[in-house]
Amino acid sequence: MLLANLALGVGATIVLAGVYTFHDGVMRVDEDNSNGRHVRVWVPAAVVPMAMHVVPRHNMEHAAQQVRPWLPTLRALTKELEKYPNAEFVDVRDGGDQHVRISTHNGKLLIDVDQPDEHVHVACPLAVMRDVANELEANAPGV
Amino acid sequence: MTDRTRKLPALALFAAAIALTPISGFSQNTSGKSSDPAKQDRWLHIRVDNPDSKEETVRVNVPLELAEKVLPSINRDRLQSGKVKIDEIDCHGVDLRALLDAVRTSKDGEFVTVQNKDSDVRVAKQNNYFLVHVVDRKHASKKSQVEVKIPMKVVDALFSGGKDELDLVAGLRALSAQGDTELVSVKDEENTVRIWLDSKNVSD
Repeated sequence: MLLANLALGVGATIVLAGVYTFHDGVMRVDEDNSNGRHVRVWVPAAVVPMAMHVVPRHNMEHAAQQVRPWLPTLRALTKELEKYPNAEFVDVRDGGDQHVRISTHNGKLLIDVDQPDEHVHVACPLAVMRDVANELEANAPGV
Repeated sequence: MTDRTRKLPALALFAAAIALTPISGFSQNTSGKSSDPAKQDRWLHIRVDNPDSKEETVRVNVPLELAEKVLPSINRDRLQSGKVKIDEIDCHGVDLRALLDAVRTSKDGEFVTVQNKDSDVRVAKQNNYFLVHVVDRKHASKKSQVEVKIPMKVVDALFSGGKDELDLVAGLRALSAQGDTELVSVKDEENTVRIWLDSKNVSD
């Protein structure tokens, strides 16, 4: 009986931790290159802001300085994009074998690039983009 | 058949209509925005098609509100705070601002009309729209046509900023107050280009 209660407690904790970790969705980057390189990065969105807190301060400051001119734009863009959770903004097809698409779906920004020798698909929750912009802004005072 | 059973189909229809009402309301709001026409988003669409190759298309859909909010945050080169500098544009000695001011203050009418075997050109102001119509027939069997229709209020807003600058944000704001309208249409032997404004978030 004790063992069952323990298992139930551990199971419930894992489920709750999973729900919390994935409640913001998943940030996904997939890249398939014709030279055989395949990159798959799937990160729970909730982890990203936490991870930014443990990045060494000088690295964050350097990154913030690099993107500093674009931080107001990033902040404004993410804030506005959140009003359009399901929309297609750009769709370019060229000759049937090249396709670029920028859209939002269920609150995620999707960027899909398909070329004969390369396929890149990025999905990033808009809330994460906003958090990243805020975090970078905190490390680049005066923006 | 009793009265009650006779009324049953009508009652069922009424109940179905009531039951379906929230669903249709929900479906109208799936974009996450209000379905109130007065608060509808205005979208600027750009579409480039190549009739010879169905596979080549460019479709751009931009919510005007998004553009209005994001543009002022971009400060690069000639674009500063939603305004673009036009001081260095070579207009061959023509004072663009004075020219547009003259157009703006004049009554409706045709300003330029050129008709010859190679081309038709018409520049006019009509019903508070600035109109440009060009047909080029220089190449046999390869006619190209350009139609531009810009509301004068948008032209006014664009030139409402300082000297030698276009106020893009003011122009967008004026554009968002307009009804559904086609702004630019270009057709030639290779491509068709359309720029238009409506309340749909897709270009098809």
